[in-house]
Amino acid sequence: MKKLLTVLLASLLCVGAAIGLTGCKAKSDYDKIKEKGYFVCGITLFNPMNYFNDEDELVGFDTEFANAVAEQLGLKAKFQIISWSAKYLELNSGAIDCIWNGFTYGNESDGVSRTEYVDFSYKYLLNGQCVVTSTANLSVLNSAAAFAGKKGMAEGGSAGEELAQSLSSVYTATTSQANALLELKSGTVDFIVIDATMANALVGQGDYNTLSINPAIETEIEEYAIGFRKGSDFTAKVNEAITTLSANGKLAEIAAEYDLSSALIENIGAK
Amino acid sequence: MSFELINSKLLVGFGTTCLLFLLTLVLSLPLGLLIMFGLKCPFKPIKWLCNVFVWAIRGTPLMLQLFVVFYVPSMLFGLRIFSFTSTTVFDGRFIAALITFVINYACYFSVIFRGGVDNISRGQFEAGKVLGMTKSQIFFKVILLQVIKTVIPPVSNEVITLVKDTSLARVISVAEIFFINETEILTKAIVWPLFYIGVFFLLFVGLLTVLFNYIEKKLSYFKA
Repeated sequence: MKKLLTVLLASLLCVGAAIGLTGCKAKSDYDKIKEKGYFVCGITLFNPMNYFNDEDELVGFDTEFANAVAEQLGLKAKFQIISWSAKYLELNSGAIDCIWNGFTYGNESDGVSRTEYVDFSYKYLLNGQCVVTSTANLSVLNSAAAFAGKKGMAEGGSAGEELAQSLSSVYTATTSQANALLELKSGTVDFIVIDATMANALVGQGDYNTLSINPAIETEIEEYAIGFRKGSDFTAKVNEAITTLSANGKLAEIAAEYDLSSALIENIGAK
Repeated sequence: MSFELINSKLLVGFGTTCLLFLLTLVLSLPLGLLIMFGLKCPFKPIKWLCNVFVWAIRGTPLMLQLFVVFYVPSMLFGLRIFSFTSTTVFDGRFIAALITFVINYACYFSVIFRGGVDNISRGQFEAGKVLGMTKSQIFFKVILLQVIKTVIPPVSNEVITLVKDTSLARVISVAEIFFINETEILTKAIVWPLFYIGVFFLLFVGLLTVLFNYIEKKLSYFKA
């Protein structure tokens, strides 16, 4: 028994030392990604950015955008579904390499700028926050004041959280925007705040035909960008690729496919 | 979404669930035995250390342990041991969840085992000694099988809990059945798979119950 324990402890020490030594070499973030041959995008499933189509393939604007950038860099893009509120933890722990999922350039709900947590790429798509309610409630919830005391919901850690909290003090965070839609449909909440790109693609049709975008609340225009680890040299590489894809029309092609042409920012990164 | 598609997605998720369950069980039982030896060790520092370890693991939520194992090595020590991906289910997230489950369940098992060993009368140890058997001979040839018999009911309790606890792995995005259902199916406003998943678990636990009853019967010729 004692011998076994000694051997076990000794091998543990060896493994520990090996990991420690390899960890010492100073490699840049991009070097590590090149070595792996792929980068991992942290996503939540949300139409039209990253979602499964009827053939069960992961598609969407951001999916194809990431694949196009990966091709430019001679890498592969992988996608990992994460809990959105854990996105910075996932990023800094290296479990994902970028936050690429309709990530709004702006503030967290507590007012802290997201630039405190990540380095952003160039902005590439216009977006706004959208208040969605059931169609039957449109006539009642017709002004900002009418929302006071109503049950609101948004994705935890999303750009819409701030607006949802300011409209009503009864607020619950959920794990994804798609989940917020589900809660609204099932009637457990009265209103939700989600990205306009998603609302335009889903609300009022199919599974969500009983819901409507509420025009009573006007919101500011925001932009999507990709989030990287602070100080990473990967940001510049992706920016270069985006500039190329924007100039050669590839990005416009993808946007047209997902009905986002009017939201796409033109000539990204051009001097 | 068609029934076939949902079915295939759920089956893949359930495969991950089963794999996590089986590997945890296979690895945590021997580790539990090892920790049990520590708990009964006559050398006080080891005994004390094992007791503190078991207290810490049993005293903190499994969810917290999942976060700690998955995020802390890289956040505090810069070791990206769990950041690798894989084409099979064995990616970093799965391994991190597996390690957490194994350690957590080993601690519960160790206490159950200790109870089993403490239940064996001293006379049997003494009889073995008189017959000239070594300590390990006494343990493996005389004690162990009797211990197994007495610990089967509490172990079966833990095992059934483990089947359902695997769904906690979703907090670090392990693609087990609940994670797949929540991210890919429930969000499309389809709720019937919830019942379908319930049936999966009922069948699985039913199978385990039958298995444990059979083992208990097989071992019933020991009258402790």
